[in-house]
Amino acid sequence: MIHKVITKNEFKKFVDGLIEENQTFGPKQVDKRADGSGIYQFKEVNSYDDMDLDYTVTYSSVKNFFLPFREELSSFDFSDKGWDQTVEYRVNPRVIIGVRPCDINALNILDKILIGGAYPSPYYMARRTNTFLVGMDHEPLDDCFCESLGHDTVHRGFNLFCTDIGDKYYLTISSSKAFGFLKNVKVADPVNGDSVKFHERRKYLRDSFKTKVEVAGLPSVLDIEFKSPVWKKWGDKCLNCGTCAMVCPTCYCYGIEETIDVNLKSSRKERVQYSCNLVDFAEVAGGHNFRPLKEDRLKYRFYHHYRGFAQNADDPICVGCNRCGRACLARINPKDVISDLQMED
Amino acid sequence: MDYRLPKQDINTEPFMRQSPRYNRKDVFMRTDKAYKCEITNIVELTPTEKLFHLKILSDQERRIFEFRPGQFVMLEVPGFGEVPISLSSSSNNSEYVELCVRKSGRTTNMLHRAKTGAKLGIRGPFGTSFPMEKMAGHNILLVAGGLGLAPLRAPINWVSEYRDEYKDVHILYGTKDPDQMLFTYQYEEWQKVDHIKLLTIVEKANKDWNGRTGMITDLFKDIDIKPDDTFAIVCGPPVMFKFVCDHLDGLGIPMNRMFVSLERRMHCGMGKCCRCMVGSTFTCVDGPVFDYWSVLNLKEAI
Amino acid sequence: MKYLGIDPQKVRVGVFDFTGCEGCELQLANKEDSLLDFLSLLEVVNFREVSSDRGDDYDVALIEGNISRADEIDRLKDIRAKAKVLVAIGSCACFGGVNQQKNRFELDDVVKEVYGDHKVETDKVKRIADVVKVDLEIPGCPVSKEEVERIVVNVVLGAEIKIPKYPVCVECKQKVNTCVVDLGQICLGPVTRAGCDAVCPSGKVGCLGCRGPAEDANFESLKQILMDKGHSDSAIVERLRFYGAFNGTVG
Repeated sequence: MIHKVITKNEFKKFVDGLIEENQTFGPKQVDKRADGSGIYQFKEVNSYDDMDLDYTVTYSSVKNFFLPFREELSSFDFSDKGWDQTVEYRVNPRVIIGVRPCDINALNILDKILIGGAYPSPYYMARRTNTFLVGMDHEPLDDCFCESLGHDTVHRGFNLFCTDIGDKYYLTISSSKAFGFLKNVKVADPVNGDSVKFHERRKYLRDSFKTKVEVAGLPSVLDIEFKSPVWKKWGDKCLNCGTCAMVCPTCYCYGIEETIDVNLKSSRKERVQYSCNLVDFAEVAGGHNFRPLKEDRLKYRFYHHYRGFAQNADDPICVGCNRCGRACLARINPKDVISDLQMED
Repeated sequence: MDYRLPKQDINTEPFMRQSPRYNRKDVFMRTDKAYKCEITNIVELTPTEKLFHLKILSDQERRIFEFRPGQFVMLEVPGFGEVPISLSSSSNNSEYVELCVRKSGRTTNMLHRAKTGAKLGIRGPFGTSFPMEKMAGHNILLVAGGLGLAPLRAPINWVSEYRDEYKDVHILYGTKDPDQMLFTYQYEEWQKVDHIKLLTIVEKANKDWNGRTGMITDLFKDIDIKPDDTFAIVCGPPVMFKFVCDHLDGLGIPMNRMFVSLERRMHCGMGKCCRCMVGSTFTCVDGPVFDYWSVLNLKEAI
Repeated sequence: MKYLGIDPQKVRVGVFDFTGCEGCELQLANKEDSLLDFLSLLEVVNFREVSSDRGDDYDVALIEGNISRADEIDRLKDIRAKAKVLVAIGSCACFGGVNQQKNRFELDDVVKEVYGDHKVETDKVKRIADVVKVDLEIPGCPVSKEEVERIVVNVVLGAEIKIPKYPVCVECKQKVNTCVVDLGQICLGPVTRAGCDAVCPSGKVGCLGCRGPAEDANFESLKQILMDKGHSDSAIVERLRFYGAFNGTVG
């Protein structure tokens, strides 16, 4: 890991250079809520000024750049006698700027599952290796709880990470590509003052968290409270609309759909992002549903997120961004559900 | 001054030129590339179940394809869908695989209309298997309910082929009614050639049925089980295997000597889509074969 | 499918309109890039908007619109008798649609409001399923051509037809839209069957529920949420009544 500092002016030049040469995505304000607060999403951008880098948090995560909501896995071309299957992993390189530590940690978790787990996914790999990630720290929102899960800082999984130290960014460079690109602009080695500011900034951010979620012992709490009435309480509110899973940076469960083209000459096999909250997630051939109740499905999502699965070394996959809690119309959020469960003890 | 990102084209990687080897779980491969097969024979078992003989067309892929009893494949009917089907044939048959498929959804309905010569795809084998070697030298109880005989047929084939390695072997098979009995044409062979004792029972008899009527556990009254020298494989719906395993537990067979095969609707077979999760466990990679103790530890398994 | 040894069977189809705007019929004739392929799956024996043929030897009858006059009942029963498969297409045929809103008023008042003193024959609106047996419903105002294409392909091949069971929110979030409820609107997306690609919320219009209820939809919760956000009970009920798709689920 190499550390440098860059003035904000030079950083702007650097970003504009990246944008000029590559398809680039960054945070942009897309709407305003009734209370005046901005709604942000990662959108394609044409210049540095096109972005809102002082954004709070995007409504959706960057997950869908790596796990598109709908992705062709293969296609079939039919003939009278048979068919041919084509499998491809073609992806163009792109840049994403301004990704928060929790989102990068989420990608690291997905890496573990989709690259490190059984049957590494070339689809995911192709998108991950072709994406240049520029991370950026931020002041937590009142309801962020990534610090409780240890995901408020990030040490890998990005190309470049920027920590705001006033008129400069303190850069953490973790790829040769980033190091090479930075030769285009003026960067300096950090002096003692920069490092002091870096640590002060870190401490300030850490102390800014207002929401804490007690996660120690959570896996066993979830196992013990599998039949708790708490699930019904929250399940009754749940719309089963899948919003939480769609905006979540780590929810990766999916379904497969095959569609025959209207000309009957070809078909497509697609991976479609799904959610364990959706009514037919655990339905099997013949119609039997292993999770027929709203509460079963809601519980299942929490179980996956905080109990963890073997594919992920039984670690929780939640990073504490609270996007699900913010997006849920029924105000179902991890903090309240978990504290309800812990009260059961 | 250059900021252009190089394109890292995964399509040029060596694995793109090779057939996927699904027995390797830890390397990159074209995980969605199916082995192309041809239906070489179709056996109509019941009005709703057919047995398909599938031959992998490429010699090289046929050589790669090796499986163990208990494992399953994802069967692709291009354009319609992919379904998990347990391998029903002998793992020593390197010429073709046998898949017993019930007509119960979009993909399997189309499959049932397919004719000999039709081309299908399979990916796999996937999942865990029955520890056949560990069972050698002991008595074996093979218990199936309904369609459960399909996955059980792979260990039955194994036991038949290595018959001298096992002591007493029993097959206990129960269905709702006599018309649902699978592989009836093999019963005589299993009994007379392979010296396996086969006991059958139905819940509801019809006029042609002169065998036993009742629940599968009734059959246990007819046989003498030595709990300290017996392994059991139980395949069937959750209610059935729970009753059977609890009964065997009561007789004193250790739970880690009873094996069951769980069924869920896998979409990927590779521990990714999470559709087949039982509690925090993937049926597709951690199962489908579990010992009964593990099943008791799984949330929502029964 | 030829590779399976299955020959696709062209569908002999008749398309018939009853009380409605004919927008769903127009949809059938839309989407030019795949229209020829689409029509080649069909043998159109009766479809006023695309052909002058008036045959009655169809296997599949697509019914658009709802029933609001006595003579329509006879015509519909006649079609049912001839068709092997009868499909209700569009929200009018499936749920009564916008027209069924008049059912809440006295018929005389309705006629007077719209036509003044001119005499017009009109009855309370009925869904197609209120009059004859319906084999398949394709909801939507208008129907989605992509969905119709998918269904027709499956009919031609004799494959099982599947439409989403989950609500519109899934598709809306997949389009990375801003939630219109956050913008202060009423939206029925959380309780309405997906399949429209969230076209209304993508245009910042709250979902009106034209595709009818999603499976296991949670009306009570949505109603509570919207009331907590300051929407009145009557405004919510009004929205649910718009297409008549939620009759029976709300008071």
